[in-house]
Amino acid sequence: MSKLSRREFLKRSAVSGAAAAVIMSGLNKPAHASAGAGKGVQYGTIIDLTKCDGCSHLKVPACVTACRQENKSKFPKPVPSEEINYYWPHKKKEDWQDKKQLTNRLTPYNWTTVQKVTVEHNGREVEVHIPRRCMHCDNPPCANICPFGAQGKTPEGPVVINHDLCFGGAKCRTVCPWGIPARQAGVGLYMKVAPQYLGGGVMYKCDLCYHRIKKGQVPACVESCPRGAITFGPREEIKQLAKERAKEIGGYIYGENENGGTSTLYVSQVPFEKIHQQLAKQKAGQPNPEAPGYPLMPVNVGNYLDTANGLLTSMLVAPVAGAALAGYTAYKKMKGGE
Amino acid sequence: MEKIKRHSLSVRFVHWSVAISTFLCIFSGFGQMPVYKRYKIDQLPGLAWTSDFSVTLLIHYIAAIVLIFAVAYHIVYHLIRKEFSILPRRGDFKESYQIIKAMLTGGEEPESDKYLAEQRLAYAYIAVMLILIIITGIIKVLKNLPAVSLEMNTLTAVSAVHNAATMLLILGIVGHLAAFLFKANRPLLPSMFTGMVDKEYARHRHSIWYRRLQQKNDKS
Repeated sequence: MSKLSRREFLKRSAVSGAAAAVIMSGLNKPAHASAGAGKGVQYGTIIDLTKCDGCSHLKVPACVTACRQENKSKFPKPVPSEEINYYWPHKKKEDWQDKKQLTNRLTPYNWTTVQKVTVEHNGREVEVHIPRRCMHCDNPPCANICPFGAQGKTPEGPVVINHDLCFGGAKCRTVCPWGIPARQAGVGLYMKVAPQYLGGGVMYKCDLCYHRIKKGQVPACVESCPRGAITFGPREEIKQLAKERAKEIGGYIYGENENGGTSTLYVSQVPFEKIHQQLAKQKAGQPNPEAPGYPLMPVNVGNYLDTANGLLTSMLVAPVAGAALAGYTAYKKMKGGE
Repeated sequence: MEKIKRHSLSVRFVHWSVAISTFLCIFSGFGQMPVYKRYKIDQLPGLAWTSDFSVTLLIHYIAAIVLIFAVAYHIVYHLIRKEFSILPRRGDFKESYQIIKAMLTGGEEPESDKYLAEQRLAYAYIAVMLILIIITGIIKVLKNLPAVSLEMNTLTAVSAVHNAATMLLILGIVGHLAAFLFKANRPLLPSMFTGMVDKEYARHRHSIWYRRLQQKNDKS
């Protein structure tokens, strides 16, 4: 230190200060800490599958435990199971209150899970661990098609469900390419209407710890990961970083194009087609292969609204065309003396 | 029986395109709620598609395009021709009451113009609902675009208006159809298909309109 000249010290301080500012302003830093963030900055995450090992030293991965702990207060509080009706006229109901402890799948009480597959790539077997939760899509069909507007994309990026308004029709789960939202019966607005005949409960899923983001903190999963496999930051920087990382490892990105783009980007050394294949194989071997809560990874999956959005021009032209035809008809008729 | 013209082709075109597109919008809209799978409607023969949201959404969009086209046509057509006989007038509530009372008791009805007072009110009611549904519907369509995102509260409010106005519209349609429970109203029915109505009926029930037609004929 004594050898360090005053000038050099200042120079280094300035450089490290600038570096710190860059780090502070960006990655793993929350909403308001971001330099010049303010309104309009959307956030996203990178999940680096080369770093995630599924917390093999733990019984339950750290992100899963942290998520459950952090979001406990938002979990469903349904009436007791015996008081929950079937979804008339069907003889079934989606009730998870006795399976709260499940961590190997998505449920209303478990918003993140870590999947594990073994993939053959370049002549060797690679074990891949994949933390799964809501992808927080750029144009979320789940939110767009909710008939009650009970789901929406926040200005910061997370897609959140309004648990007080949700009726539990589960349409959001159907249009989600990954079937992420999970339904719990016996709770929510429908219980106040005609629970025997209408509605099905409330949908639950990851909200990217929206309450933390608003406070300027990072999501619990990001904070808890012992290997720093999940990175949080402004959407655009995240995108850039994912590309750099993929280039660095000669790997692949998932989420950039899927469903029209998501704010969760996976980076992997092995192609996602292979991961998807293995996940699909696992799912097919389950007692109920149709069961939701075990998301796959379909590559380049399209957005449910693509076809409908293609009709936009017709919709905008319709009133103009109607008016034009009316003008023509009325003119012709009046000219004819009618 | 002698007939006179009541509805031009334009009017019939608008009526039926609005009716059919509205029916399709309501049917496909319920598919979005979603109800057809829940109540096993999709298990009825030929109705499996009803629980496929992508099919019902497409029907909803296409029917909405037809509806918007017809509504725009209707407004512009009658504005140009300055035809406002279906708009409500002062005293229509009282007059409707008198007409309905007369139909029930067999008493004397007040004289009517081209449209009965309750028809003018029904028109206004259905028009207001349709306009509300179309405006909120367009907002909902725009928010489906990748570039458009709505605040959650706005989205909830827009959806609530869209749904509530639809329920009120359905009530209105039921009322509109229930009008034909009354025998007195039935001679009007063919006019929405052929455009023609019995002359005697018009002279008797829509006497103000009939006299005006006569005067016009006399002049020409």
